[in-house]
Formats: sequence, structure tokens, C-alpha cells
Amino acid sequence: MKPKVAFFDFAGCEGDQLQVANLEEDLLTLLGQVEVVSFREIMKEHNEDYDIAFIEGSCTRLQDEDRLKQIRKNAKIVVAIGSCATIGGINALKNYKNLDEVRQIVYGESARLFDTYAARPIDAIIPVDAYVHGCPIDRNEFLQVVKSLLLGKKPEVPNYPVCVECKKNENICAFDRGQFCVGPVTRAGCNSCCINEGTICWGCRGLIDNPNENSQKEILIKYGLTVDDAIGKFKLYFGWQEGKR
Amino acid sequence: MKIISKDEFSNFVDALIKDEKWNVIGVKAKGDKFAFGPLENANELRLDYDVTLLPPKKYFFPQRETLFTYNLADGSSAKNPETKPSVIIGVHPYDIVALFHMDEIFRDTKSDPHYFEKRNSTVIIGVNMQKMSKWNFAPYMGCAIVDYGYDLMLTDLGNRYAISVGSQKGGELLSKYAKNVNSALARDIQLVGQKKREIMNMSQQKFDFSTEMIPELLKETYEESGFWEKHAEKCLACGSCVLVCPTCYCFDVKDNPDLALEQVERIRTWDGCLLEDFAKIASGENFRPTRPTRYRHRYFKKGKYLFDRFGFISCVGCGRCSSNCLPNIANPVELFNDMYHEIHSKGVKVSPAQTPEVNIQTEGNIDYVPRLATIINKTVMTPNETLFEIKMDDGSELGHKPGQFAEISVFGIGEAPISISSPPTKKGSFEICVRKVGNVTNKLHTLKVGDKVGVRGPFGNGFDVDALKGKDLLFVAGGLGIAPLRSLFNYVVDKRKEFGHVVLLYGCKEPRELLFSKEMEELARRPDVEFKATVNWCPDGESWGGNIGVITTLIPQVSFDPDKIYAIVCGPPVMYKYVIADLKARKVPDDHIIVSLERRMKCGVGKCGHCQINQIYVCKDGPVFNYSKIKGVPEAL
Repeated sequence: MKPKVAFFDFAGCEGDQLQVANLEEDLLTLLGQVEVVSFREIMKEHNEDYDIAFIEGSCTRLQDEDRLKQIRKNAKIVVAIGSCATIGGINALKNYKNLDEVRQIVYGESARLFDTYAARPIDAIIPVDAYVHGCPIDRNEFLQVVKSLLLGKKPEVPNYPVCVECKKNENICAFDRGQFCVGPVTRAGCNSCCINEGTICWGCRGLIDNPNENSQKEILIKYGLTVDDAIGKFKLYFGWQEGKR
Repeated sequence: MKIISKDEFSNFVDALIKDEKWNVIGVKAKGDKFAFGPLENANELRLDYDVTLLPPKKYFFPQRETLFTYNLADGSSAKNPETKPSVIIGVHPYDIVALFHMDEIFRDTKSDPHYFEKRNSTVIIGVNMQKMSKWNFAPYMGCAIVDYGYDLMLTDLGNRYAISVGSQKGGELLSKYAKNVNSALARDIQLVGQKKREIMNMSQQKFDFSTEMIPELLKETYEESGFWEKHAEKCLACGSCVLVCPTCYCFDVKDNPDLALEQVERIRTWDGCLLEDFAKIASGENFRPTRPTRYRHRYFKKGKYLFDRFGFISCVGCGRCSSNCLPNIANPVELFNDMYHEIHSKGVKVSPAQTPEVNIQTEGNIDYVPRLATIINKTVMTPNETLFEIKMDDGSELGHKPGQFAEISVFGIGEAPISISSPPTKKGSFEICVRKVGNVTNKLHTLKVGDKVGVRGPFGNGFDVDALKGKDLLFVAGGLGIAPLRSLFNYVVDKRKEFGHVVLLYGCKEPRELLFSKEMEELARRPDVEFKATVNWCPDGESWGGNIGVITTLIPQVSFDPDKIYAIVCGPPVMYKYVIADLKARKVPDDHIIVSLERRMKCGVGKCGHCQINQIYVCKDGPVFNYSKIKGVPEAL
């Protein structure tokens, strides 16, 4: 029997689900392995009977917690997909501000109608079995995770930084190109895709388990960033993780 | 020596490219840096480069390479397609020397067929350095110029190249594809000599002492934890220094199934000892958990361990590690100068290291493809541990010695090192006692009788059974440590008359974790074996009539003659030092203590680097060690 899978979204752009919808020819092979019972981006049907739940988006208000807990109850395996779900993502930028102020900025006069609390990854609410990091997720890594789950294997997420993949790909270091990169503290698994294209690592996969943050900040400053900008580099994606450390 | 004009040299390269027999690779510009890559035409060649981002090692030991492909359903494997021969143009002398280092490593004990297939089918066209990266210190390492290791070697003489022919292969290539190649005149030979002298003076780096002292300097610095902490304080553990190194060879092995879950590639990828999880095993134990210890390990590996084994300092002075280290802590010249001055200031005299006696033998090829085997019996012992009985499909015996291990493949998941639990006296099959700790072992537990697994091995150094004959034996097993010890213990029981007094002390956390409980009950009834078991505690609801306390509480309960007894110890990492201390307190001589150690044994053949404790490969030199041989090895216990 093919496992039944369902996709869910919380606070996020749904860009990760779009990556899955864009799997092209692999999508057909994938559908040979799993039965999709719920996926708002590509189908109308919805079913509460599923084995694997893929959850996109972060939890940014109290009332979302019940829905997350319900999904956890229904699913055998919960997979967080995308930065918002795995590490809080850029939504956690708001955690640095006064949340009333945040509501005012976003909703203006209607602010009182909308609840909010510090944005957090879904494993802050429910246990998560597997992670597909990235903003957006890498399609190939998504498939790797699916294959692992189908084989009864815990998907392996590297605990080394993006530099490892970047060096293997023989890129010129972003710092040598006069740019500022947080690859040395960011969890790999993306095959250094951004640096391969000549840009930098923004840190969307979150920090490795034991990053040397002081050294990384010192490097950013040594190469010319102001202290504030260096700290800003860390705030972009690492907000929730930094808050916990 | 030959001479060819630059125009004719370009024609030579274009002729090689045109003949589709070859992969023609050369140094090309990449932004304002350089990299080896496939050449489309001779104009892309940049023989005036300073250093390439990655060394040409990537063509012999690629970042990611398929070792073999197998069928997920039955484990049957297919042969890899043959590799097309390559010509690599523009290799600097230090990278040529680095390949020689790699050759030694990949042929040590067993030869790596994947490496040598590519190495043997490649033609190396070297070039003497015209520019040198500011980080380069190859002249100090004796690697700035070479007169061996290439098929052809170019020296730029303005409008022409001087060519040294280093091999028949090189000469043939030249005569087949190059036109208007002339013999060098005296002035050209002299010019080449002059260029080489210039190269020897080109380095902007400076060692304050003779590099031959490096192994001895390191020896004096191992315990200086402050020194290593200071130098590694800014280390990001990003692995850049090891990944760009032309002599680093550590690797990881993984399984990659296709999406249809039909075919699986077993791949090997570069790994690095600076990375946090490098020495971590499935149970979570990390044998080199801190950045300073990993940083130190790298320098020791290059400057001491490989030197002691092969007689060379495994650094060619290319400077790539220095130039790729963002916090600028990886420059070996700075590190070693600092080390030299620190040692010197303490008044310690260090002299050049004596070249060790080197004796590297090669006995056949490494076989990365496992043999197929079938699970013929499964005995669940605890919720986490199961005993599997496995039979080789070709009817052969595994042929192991007690204490050895095998690499067990679970198809689609990967391979894990597992000690063999049955004695060689058991014929027709072998047993492994497996705890669920990682992906391979978890999946193995779901397999049923009749299911297939892959087996490589047996590997490692087992117990020296002959040396133990006639001796009194004290087995000390903690938890899963009983699994490897059982291969010897049961052998001893099977050949009981050949041994003296036999004692087994076995401890685990609580009664329900007791392994081989039926065998233990029988043992307890045997008059010719003294058996004592203990549990750390006995929770409510479990029953236990024996000793309560850690394993060392059993040692005072047995009497033995320390000069006659041989203690055989295996258990969780924390256990060894307490048990050994108690044995020593009972006057057991060091060389009467034998231990079996656990590490991350990935390749099983002393290549991948994961199981290394200082200079020792646990997979090859161990897992069984005489304590007297490893008591001075700091990372061992």
C-alpha cells in the first residue's frame, strides 16, 4: 500500500509546496510511490486520513497550535518543509520587535482583530520526525527525504556548514568576491546552490549544531561589515535559533 | 629535453582534444582564480596560473563517486562502466608530489581500485610554476620542483616550452600528437635550470626553522592544550582547509537509491576530520568532539602520523588551506613557526626527525562490493537487541577470528560495522548481536528470516587465540560489549581443555537488558567456568537475585593469580579506565590486559579516516588491542 501524504501550510509563502508541485517528471515517479490525499496547491480534494504530513510555514499565533497538534495526531510521520517550518524562517524577524508594533505595521487600524505571537518553527509545538530545510526547499533534497521515509530510514541532514559543499563545487569564496556570506555557520544540504550561482549564503537552512558564531561575526566585520550589519546577517534567518541559545 | 614553440604546443593540445579517445583537462581561468576543467580548445589553457581552487586530486578521488550500483530488491550489483583515459595539462610540481602521497595511502595494505584505475589511465603534463600564490611554501617542503611523477613537464621559456619527458607514455603522446618538436639546445637546458632556481626563491612565506623538525615539534606539543585552544579559537570547523588539501583523503560512504526504489548507488564523498561529526558513532558518542582536538588531529595527521608510517610529511606547501581559511588560522607556516618559538622559549631542544623505517605492502584490492548473505535465524533478546544468524549465499564460511567485525549492508540504507558474536568453531553460519542505534541497525531489525543482507569482511585484528591457550582468562563485558567477547568466550568454552581457569564478569544497566540470558543460565551451571553477573540497578517490577552495582564491583569477588591471568575487556567507552585501574590495582601486568574498542569504522580497510585514534586505525590495527600497546595513545581510552 502506498503511504498517504498530505501537505499543510501555516505562516509562509507556500513556496516550498510550489517546489514540490514543480517536480516535473519526478512528480510522476513520486506519485507511483505515494498517494497524495491533500495538497491545496494542486488539488481540490482533502482527506484527514494520511500517514505522512508535510508542513510548511511557521507558527505565529496561539490558535495555530491546535491545528498542528491535530495534524500530529493524524499523521504517523511529520515532516517540516522550508525554513519557516524548520527554523522559524524570516517570520522570526518580527521577534526582534515589539509585537503590538508589528501588528500595527501589518494590519494598521484592524490590528486589534489579529492575534500574533513570536514566530517559531513547528517543532516548538509538536515533535517533528524529519526536516527539509531551505527557503525555498531544494527539490532534490525533498526527494531524498521522501525516499528515506519510504525505506524506513531517518533522513540524514548534514551537520556541517555550507562551506563543505561550496568547496567541493570549487566555487570562489563569496568573501573573495567582496561579498558577505554566512555559509560557514549554516547547515549544508543545499549543495551550496546560491553560491554556485554567484551570490551568497543567507543562512536559510539555519545554524549547524555548534556554530562558532563569534568567529563568523568577526570575519564579517574584518571583511568590512559594520557590527550592526553583521548582527543583521544573523537575524535574517537565525532569529529563533539565536533566541534559544 | 625537447623544445616546442607555443603555437605548436597549442596545436598539440587541440589535436588531443580532437581525438575523442581522451578527456583533455587543463587549467582554466575561473573569475580571477583558476581551476582544472575539461578543455574545449587550447586557448582556454592558462599555464601562467598561480594555484587552482581544488587540486587535480578530484580526477582520481572525486568529490562524489559511485563505488558500485546494486539492485535494491536482491542486492545484486552491476559493474561500473570503464573510465575514459585522461590527459591533465598544467599540474604544478607540488600537486604531482601530492599525488604520490595519495598513491601511497591508497595502496597501503590493500589497493583502492577506484583510485588506481583512474590514476593508471591518466597522463600528467606538468608545468613549472611561473607564478606562485602568496601562501605557497612548496620550496620549504621540497615540492617546488620535481624530476619524477610526470609524463611530460613543461617549462615556459617565453615563446616556447622546454619539455622533459618523464615516461614512455608521455613520449608517445608527444610523438603522436605534436609536430615540430626539437631537441633542446644547451641554452634552453641552462634556462630551465635558471627558472628552477628562481622558483626555489619565489615563496613569500618563511619558516624560521628546518621543516624536518616538524614531526618532533608536534610530539612536544601534543599535550599543550592551551596552544591548540589558542590556535583553534576562531576555527569554524567548516572543513575548508581539508577539502581543498591535495593530500587529504578521508571519505564517507553512503547509499543513494533512485526514486523508483529499484537501483541504489553506493557513493563515496569527501569528508574531513575537522567536521564535527567526523568521529561520531551511531549511538551518539563523539570521539573527537571539540574544535581544538580536531584541529590538532589534522596537523598531527599531516606532520606526525603519516610521517611515522610513510616517511613523508603529508604537506606539499601549496598553501590552499591558508588561502581558504576565513579566520586565517590554517597557515601551517604560521602555526609551526609559533610552535617552534614556543617550544624553543621553554628551552626544549628539538632536532630533525629521524626518517622512520617504511614498509608498505599491498595485498590485493579492496572489495567495496559486499557478498550476499541470508538471515537464517533471528532471536529477539531485548526490545533493542536481536541476535541474527547469517549464512553466506555462496556456502562459504565467513572465516573470521574471534574479535573481528564485518561491514553489514542493509540494502537501500547503507553499511555499518558490526562485531561478530559467534566463535569460528560454529560452522556454516555466523551470528551478530545488533542494537538498534542508527539507520542501518534499525532497518536490520525489521528484516525477516530469509531476507538478504550484504557482508564485507571479516575485518580487523582479532584476539590472538594461540597466545591465550593454556592461560587463565578473565572476561569483563559491559552491556553490548558481550557481543564481540562472545566470539572468543564461546570459542574458549568449545575448546575448554585448551585453556586454564575461565571467569566471565558481565554487567548491564538493569535485568531486562541482559543479553544471551539463556546461555548465561547454562553457564552458571557449568563447573568449569566461573560466571558472575551484575546490574547497575533493579527497577521495581523487575527481579534480580545477583549482584547490584557497576561492573567493577564484581572484580573484588573473584580471585586470580595476576601473573597468570589475561583480562579481556569490552564495554561502553566510559568503562575501560575504571576496569583497567582496578585490574592494575590487582597487579595484573599491562600486557595481560586486552581490550576491544569501538569507533566509527566506515570503510573497514584503513582508508576513510573515521576510526582513527591518533596514529592507529581501529578497523585495521584493532578493534582488539593489547593494553600495553595503546596505553600511551591518548585518544584510545
